[in-house]
Amino acid sequence: MSNKNSSNAIIFENILFGFGEQIILNDVSFSVKPGETIVLMGGSGTGKSTTLKLVLGLLKPESGHLFVDGENITDFTESKMMAVRKKIGMIFQEGALFDSLNVFENVGFRLFEQGASENDVEHIVRQMLKFVNLEDAIYKMPSELSGGMRRRVGIARALVGKPKIILYDEPTAGLDPPTARTIIELAMKLRDLEGVSSIFVTHRIQDAQQLASEYVTIDEKGEIVVRKDEKAASSRTKFIMLKQGKVIFSGSGRELWESPDPYIKNFLL
Amino acid sequence: MNLAIKIVFETQEATLMVWRSALGLVRRPFYIRETINQMDIVGVGSLPIAMLAAFFIGAVLALQTASTLQAFGAQNYTGRLVATSLVRELGPVLTCILLAGRIGSGIAAELGSMKVSEQIDAMRALGTDPLRKLVLPRIIALVVMSPTLTVFANVVGTIGGLVISLTLLHIPASVYNTSARDALNYHDIFGGLLKPVVFGFIIAVVGCRCGLRTQGGTVGVGRSTTQSVVMSILLILISDFFLTKLIIALGPTGQF
Ligand SMILES: Nc1ncnc2c1ncn2[C@@H]1O[C@H](COP(=O)(O)OP(=O)(O)O)[C@@H](O)[C@H]1O
Ligand SMILES: [Mg+2]
Repeated sequence: MSNKNSSNAIIFENILFGFGEQIILNDVSFSVKPGETIVLMGGSGTGKSTTLKLVLGLLKPESGHLFVDGENITDFTESKMMAVRKKIGMIFQEGALFDSLNVFENVGFRLFEQGASENDVEHIVRQMLKFVNLEDAIYKMPSELSGGMRRRVGIARALVGKPKIILYDEPTAGLDPPTARTIIELAMKLRDLEGVSSIFVTHRIQDAQQLASEYVTIDEKGEIVVRKDEKAASSRTKFIMLKQGKVIFSGSGRELWESPDPYIKNFLL
Repeated sequence: MNLAIKIVFETQEATLMVWRSALGLVRRPFYIRETINQMDIVGVGSLPIAMLAAFFIGAVLALQTASTLQAFGAQNYTGRLVATSLVRELGPVLTCILLAGRIGSGIAAELGSMKVSEQIDAMRALGTDPLRKLVLPRIIALVVMSPTLTVFANVVGTIGGLVISLTLLHIPASVYNTSARDALNYHDIFGGLLKPVVFGFIIAVVGCRCGLRTQGGTVGVGRSTTQSVVMSILLILISDFFLTKLIIALGPTGQF
């Protein structure tokens, strides 16, 4: 048991969660191995965002057990959760940037809160913005950014402090295809080069296909390249489908495409 | 949920919110910059409008009381009536009702839109307690600035009464001033400062709670904003009655 817990990044064990009378997650169990990306799919309102918020301890399950990085966080208090949250980066659905702060202060938020000096923060913030390719926007306010830029700033903010676990909440929703691709590539870089464990919520089938069939590596010249290789990508990517509070599918991309379930077939059209 | 349960639930949630943010007074991190910033918004930002309102309240008071007092040949007591009404009741209550409209609604709207756009969740996810960073500085700012503004309002209101007395009622300034000064005692002043401390606390707690419980997108933000103003004005008026009773009971005469 303890062995199983410590060898997984995240474990959901028979999680039950509801808002008032409405049951959102009903006996949900799954786990995320270290370095693995779980693509979490399902129609809107099926509890995907809720699942991510449970991992962060922003919501508490009614029953079941929740493990993050080997710790049973089910009954953690808010102050104990603060320590766990240091290991987790969350990318919120609409970016959730602080609109009273500029990009620099948003990305550096965690460091400023820990009392780091302006210079130290600036160094790290520039590094993160370079990763998401947004160095020029450093002194802009969130209201001046496009949807895709806001998501990328959200990603940069989540990456400060090098979290071992990253949660993406529909980072590509409402974006044009090229911008969506760049965001998926960022996620692949984190998966393949940094060994980050993650839950990637999306209902875009293109995202799922890309995550299941491509991977990122460093070539002989030392450059980062994207390669098509289903085997390599699949070994680090699993799919979970939620429907009406239940896990109705869990497995590899290939199994997902070939699933006979009419609901899943309909979803993948 | 019926009303009684709702009231109990909200009271409990508000108490928890205050308690948990109050822990920020004794444990790091301290948000001094945020607190000063809020004090600036509440205090400096509201000063002109509070003084303008107070001037006209004092003027109207002088106008109204003088005509009544004239019937008894007691016009010279105008200063006394203006000053006691202002210091005991109108200064604290009207200043804080202005603050409820200007600051309380702003707090509810700001925290409400942060809630619906998931900024509150994002803050927690980044390891910062919104109760300490957002709620506590606002409570401190209102508790400190409400009595300060009330003092300004009382002074300006008394001057408003003086201007009317001089120009329209032809009461000499020395008579007005002596009568105003004689009327006030420490007990009135203490009571007049206790009230805005309590009212300021009410405005901050109601504003923050309404903001943080916001649900349902931009419509919800509008709803929270309205609720916060209505709720804090009602609570100010209700608590004013009980505070007045308490202050009288503690007073030199101690009856009622
Ligand atoms: N704060 C809340 N209070 C009540 N119901 C909520 C709340 N947040 C979400 N819900 C409901 O919970 C269900 C799941 O929401 P969510 O996890 O956001 O779904 P999604 O899969 O689209 O991310 C939805 O039906 C939504 O209406
Ligand atoms: Mg969602």
